[in-house]
Amino acid sequence: MSDVPIERHALGNGLRIVLSRDPSSPAVAVNLWYDVGSKHEKPGKTGFAHLFEHMMFQGSANVEKGQHFSIVQAAGGTLNATTWLDRTNYFETLPGHELELALWLEADRMSSLLPAMTQEKLDNQRDVVKNERRYSVDNQPYGDWDERMQALAYPDGHPYHHPTIGSMEDLSAASLDDVREFFRTYYTPNNAVLTIAGDFETDAALAMIERHFGPIPPNASLPPPPDMAVPDRIGEAVRVTVPDQVPLPRIYLAHRIAPFGSDAFDAFDVAADVLGSGRASRLYASLVREQRVAQDVSVFVFPIVGGASLFAMWVTARPGVELATLERSLLTEIDRLATEGPTDADLERVRNLQASRTASALERIGERADRLGQYTCLFDEPERINTEVTRYASVDAGRVMEALRTSITEHNRVTLTYVPAEAAS
Amino acid sequence: MIARPPAGAPRPYRFPDFVRHRLPNGLGVWLVPLPGRELVSVHLLTDAGAASEDEAQAGVAALTAQVLVTGTRTLDAAAFAEATERLGIEVGSESAWDSARAGFTALGAHLDAGLGLLAEMVTDPRLDAGEFDRLRAERLNDILQARAEPGRLADERFLGQVFADGVPYGRLSAGRPETVEALTVESVRDFHASRYAPGVADVIVAGAFDPDDALAAVERHLGGWAGTGPGHRTIQPRQRGSRRVVVVDRPGSVQSELRVGHLGIDRHDGRYFPAMVMAALLGGVFGSRLNRRLREELGYTYGARCAFDPRRAVGPFTATAAVQTEVTADAVRELLAQLDGIRDAPPGDGELREVRDFLVGVFPLRFESTAGIAAAIEPLAVYDLPDDWWHAYRSRLEAVTPADVQSVARELIRPDDALILVVGDASKVADELRAADLGAVEVVPGA
Repeated sequence: MSDVPIERHALGNGLRIVLSRDPSSPAVAVNLWYDVGSKHEKPGKTGFAHLFEHMMFQGSANVEKGQHFSIVQAAGGTLNATTWLDRTNYFETLPGHELELALWLEADRMSSLLPAMTQEKLDNQRDVVKNERRYSVDNQPYGDWDERMQALAYPDGHPYHHPTIGSMEDLSAASLDDVREFFRTYYTPNNAVLTIAGDFETDAALAMIERHFGPIPPNASLPPPPDMAVPDRIGEAVRVTVPDQVPLPRIYLAHRIAPFGSDAFDAFDVAADVLGSGRASRLYASLVREQRVAQDVSVFVFPIVGGASLFAMWVTARPGVELATLERSLLTEIDRLATEGPTDADLERVRNLQASRTASALERIGERADRLGQYTCLFDEPERINTEVTRYASVDAGRVMEALRTSITEHNRVTLTYVPAEAAS
Repeated sequence: MIARPPAGAPRPYRFPDFVRHRLPNGLGVWLVPLPGRELVSVHLLTDAGAASEDEAQAGVAALTAQVLVTGTRTLDAAAFAEATERLGIEVGSESAWDSARAGFTALGAHLDAGLGLLAEMVTDPRLDAGEFDRLRAERLNDILQARAEPGRLADERFLGQVFADGVPYGRLSAGRPETVEALTVESVRDFHASRYAPGVADVIVAGAFDPDDALAAVERHLGGWAGTGPGHRTIQPRQRGSRRVVVVDRPGSVQSELRVGHLGIDRHDGRYFPAMVMAALLGGVFGSRLNRRLREELGYTYGARCAFDPRRAVGPFTATAAVQTEVTADAVRELLAQLDGIRDAPPGDGELREVRDFLVGVFPLRFESTAGIAAAIEPLAVYDLPDDWWHAYRSRLEAVTPADVQSVARELIRPDDALILVVGDASKVADELRAADLGAVEVVPGA
């Protein structure tokens, strides 16, 4: 089905390079995956990987504060960066003739961020990130569900126990010394994957990469990856109820499952879609359309690679519906899928949905570059971009049942329930 | 250190050519062949948006669009979902002010089957009473949920406060709880029967297909549809009052959601291009004045922006930011200062060039996907824009001068008329806002 071209190279300093040429595109996407995320943070420094990502837009030796954005946009490009548990990615898509500009900007900050760093910039971005936390977590109904869920699903001290956005207290404690140490440790060519997709000439692109990234020294003593080991199961039924400013109660469930990249994970991916993807999904059909106990449902897996991933879902109660009734209906559907398995019609449906979604996503060169970077950074295997559909389609009913029976059990479940604050008191 | 490299030679880009047809029943057909694509997108637009509904039935357009997806005469809700999703197709159907849109994106091989199902859904829907009841209840619940979110609460309250009584735009296009509550399955059936008609509809097909085959498929599936439809009514927006501050009390908020603005422009305004460039410079890109000042210099917010929302009639101009509660009054002052600033002097050549180059340069990136290209045709169909709209688009942006920006700002940005709406903890922000002398302050409950 999809067949994204892939060419791999590497520089002497360890920078891994993935090229995916598509001359039919009017643009070129540049993407850097750094192998550092919030799982690498030290105690008392939660939120730092993400705060650091902000600092990467505050200028470098040849680029003024804020100019990274302005230069790319003035060149007709779009750009951003994101931080999550396992990684930090930086990306821009520009007209093809501006490729070298993007490479120069990325190399400038990889090689010379620190000379441009100031306390004033750090203080400013600390305020911005605190407002990002207020905006996305503290001032939103159900806003802290994922940080509560992570804290309950992973033991204290596990690198996934704390949220990527971090705590206000830890953000306040971040210092310029932390910026320097983090930069020197993780922002080095041998800890990154550079991907280019779209309209470019291979030889010219390689020469540009060598020119801009070649002189950057590697970190000869990259720290070993954090210890992600965690038991396969939570080992008990964890239940927490949160009174919040919400009009409708909502139940979140999460279970520890096999990590992203494993065959077992693919089975959970399929199970999640059978249960929750589309109007013909099991949970939508049963809880929303037929029984009318739920306002909405959502089921998803976390594409994370350390120790264990999560199979999670939420379901919002219709007004007047008892939470116990809703939870029972939810678990009944999950159990039914675990014992009876998906039908051929279920599998045909989710396979075709996944094939369409994959094709839609890969229409965009930015998405191609990001997935190539992801697969290279996490698995050293960019070719996985071309087997997404076949891997997914290879999951049969037996694998779905096996996955659900082993991991989606009461003693491997966090049940987090939000209830309207006045009703809880 | 290596200095900034020079750019290579730009490659020309041309918006894809399209062909238009009109079927004998009045349906407009827009075909955008994109050879080599794997996917095809179909968007079926009908003049059945909120502008076509009676005010007493506000929300009927949105609800009708949603109920459409629950099946056809021959397929009930479950069977219709199965039939479409088995082809990998997720059918969307929603309405805005100026049109209702039903559509999907699919692998090219499924164009004919998908179009058949979409046509059956739009021309011969089930409009089942039970599914109507369910979706109306979900709609009312969604309004409840939206009002618990500070951003969505601010959006709704801003519209209600900025438009005068009786102007339909003073509410969300999805309706008000009172009117949605009063809708019946008969209102949806009547709305569908009278408003969904080929005489006021267009179908856009973009992607991998043979144009003759695609036209034949459209004729086969939609050629038998009949009706002219009344189309939309004329809305005459008026603003409520002048400069004032409304605090919507949301106790416990750690941020204040700001909406500052007034009436803007309609979609056919002759100042469309300078207005778009001016709004981008003021609050449309990362380095825009609002974001630079409120985020990158002051750290008050995660982001500040502004935009016009042009419709068939004059829609709002709104500046938006969620700011830390403690700096609410300062943030409003800073935001207003930027609105003053864009009026007071023309932008520098460099500042304008950056924004213009972004809007011009980013043009091809907007059309990477078949769905993006189909969406680009929509305003041509809905607002009767000229066929060469996208071909002329970049040169019209490039023609905007610093003097144009200032003159359009002086006409369209009116801080003296601005409504300043704040959703936040009134016990913490109201006194400070009064002391700041920004206009009369009124505190209203949030719930």
